[in-house]
Amino acid sequence: MMILIVISVYILVHHVKYEVKPDWLFFNNYVISVIFLIEYLLRLWVYSDNSKAIIEQYEHDLFLQRPFKVLTALHHIILTKSKFVFSPAAIIDLLAIMPFFHEMRLLRVFILFRVFKLFRYTKSLQQFVSILSSKKFEFLTLGMFAGVIITVSSVLIYVMEANNPDSPINTMFEAVYWSVVTIFTVGYGDFVPVTSEGRTVAMVIIVAGIAVIAFATSIVVSAFTEKLDEIKEDKLIDDVSKFDQFYLICGYTPLAAQVAHRFLKSDKQVIIIDTNHKKVAEAQKEGFLALNYNPASLHSYHAIRINFETQVIAAILLEESDVLNVYTALTIREISKNVQMLSILLHHENRRKLTLAGINEVVYTQELIGLMSKEVSGRPVAFEVIHALRSENSGVFIEEIVLDTLMAKQFFETTRLSMFHKRLIVLGVYNQAMQSFFFNPSNALVVEEGDVAIVVGTRSLIDEFKALMRRKKRV
Amino acid sequence: MNYQSAIVFGFNEYAKQIAMQIAPEYSSFAIFVMNELELVAARAAGFEVALFDLGEDWKLIEEKFDPESLIVFCALDKDAENVFLTISLRSIFEELPIIALASDHESSAKMKSAGANKVMATQQITANIITEMLEKPTVTEVLHDILYEQSLLKIAQIKVPENSFLVGKHLHDIDWGEEYDLLVLAIVDHQLSATFSFTSRGHHHHIDPEDILVVVGYEDSIAALSEVMGVVK
Repeated sequence: MMILIVISVYILVHHVKYEVKPDWLFFNNYVISVIFLIEYLLRLWVYSDNSKAIIEQYEHDLFLQRPFKVLTALHHIILTKSKFVFSPAAIIDLLAIMPFFHEMRLLRVFILFRVFKLFRYTKSLQQFVSILSSKKFEFLTLGMFAGVIITVSSVLIYVMEANNPDSPINTMFEAVYWSVVTIFTVGYGDFVPVTSEGRTVAMVIIVAGIAVIAFATSIVVSAFTEKLDEIKEDKLIDDVSKFDQFYLICGYTPLAAQVAHRFLKSDKQVIIIDTNHKKVAEAQKEGFLALNYNPASLHSYHAIRINFETQVIAAILLEESDVLNVYTALTIREISKNVQMLSILLHHENRRKLTLAGINEVVYTQELIGLMSKEVSGRPVAFEVIHALRSENSGVFIEEIVLDTLMAKQFFETTRLSMFHKRLIVLGVYNQAMQSFFFNPSNALVVEEGDVAIVVGTRSLIDEFKALMRRKKRV
Repeated sequence: MNYQSAIVFGFNEYAKQIAMQIAPEYSSFAIFVMNELELVAARAAGFEVALFDLGEDWKLIEEKFDPESLIVFCALDKDAENVFLTISLRSIFEELPIIALASDHESSAKMKSAGANKVMATQQITANIITEMLEKPTVTEVLHDILYEQSLLKIAQIKVPENSFLVGKHLHDIDWGEEYDLLVLAIVDHQLSATFSFTSRGHHHHIDPEDILVVVGYEDSIAALSEVMGVVK
């Protein structure tokens, strides 16, 4: 639609001085107008549900045990539709179709109303209008002030100058024109007062003009400043709705920052939501996509327009309170029964409560540290090795590869290639069917689609291994 | 090094879990706390407890334990206290293995500077586990089994004895998986570096006495290799 609008305006501008091919004129006057007419009629049609209005009237009459008043239903429908017809947006739409009905040159300017239609399709323009409309009262005051000044100064300048043969201001229209040009600090100089009285009026109006401009600027600036956070948030929500998949972190804590950093490092999208606006600002400063919403409120998720089924890989609950995490979990479960949820556990006696709230994975750091302490004191080097693999900072990674049919078929053959031999460690294969892990598997193991291979190696080696398993023809 | 005794400093949730996990591993074990409340809680949990303050001259430790076979865990509530405790212990016991908890990277670096042998940064560890659980659930499960569960698959570190048949060989000369049914993840090659290096980096390691092999395998395979290597239990 936006392209059609641009074409329309281009033809209008081009047609001022040059001939436009009849085909293009036809396209502009009829094809585009018909498309806009169809759009207008469709908008009118979907503005309200006619059948619903009829059924409601029918049920109402049935309940009151009286005959169905079809005319009342129609009246209701017409009233509702007329609300659309007389709305500013619909009036612009209608005027934009006008060139279809009139080929008179003057009416062609109605094409410009098509430009206004851009507001319908461009969100930023809509935002611009909504921001300015939030300052209606201020603009009205300014308008009245400017109106009074213009009226008074126009009358004054006319009275002072109109009878002077040297003065270019001879009519009331010229006086109003001069006032408007002066008060808005343009001052073309095509009309200038020549009498001392007229020049005195000019001085007053010039000073008043500065006040008008300053007032207008301050209104616009303050409107934008007030709405800046809202605009930024709208933009973020828009960005979020465009993401294919992401991890949702509920609660911004130092741990949340670490988790988010790790996901971002592996090119995963992360959205953080927190009730505390200071924490949100902190997260944004760290470069995260953070929104100031309550993670434990249904309203928040509706406002952010998150689709848990398709967009959220997992919700990670990292509030520093088991109570809050349980509450958030129950909120999310109300929206989605299937989304994966992971939460930290602060007090081990609450583990069952978290599980009952529908959390799939519970991480109890204290227990983990306890288990690790045993390792670190008994097998410090082994612990270091595993820790290095997990932290992914050593250049050597432990990866799991979900095998498809081709990969499963070529798995052992690929492991035997010289480039992987003794450099890529195949720790084992997790067999999905048997739900068991086969360490250091031999060729005798039947590897099937869906099985998971766990390998240790450098990033480039693992990537090459995956690529070669997927390659149909061996080089 | 096999330690005979261990001390855990503090009795918060972390310290409690550490104590529960490691107490059975040592012949003498105690918890040192800074206040009466923790003293009562630790005693109620069945541990031997002693009170201490950060200005201690650590005569208490020397009286009760042999510092030569002692390992300590600093798990006080605040990072600043843990740093001070670490530096205080290190000033008296130069060789004492100190394992300290830190909440973040910054404290972790300070703990290292204060003399801790090993620092466990709780936030980093938790973040690693959370991302691994979501991104690599099978890896998490397998590593958890190898490290903490009573599965037959284990991770072990084997020190190469002086007269082992491995001495003089290259790490990649041996097909560990084929011959011993285990995998060598890393090696501490003392001639190259004091820290470990991953075997998958492909470096040609010449095996020397005192080198440490970090292996993953079934308990009996590890035992068989240790025996062949001539490791004295």
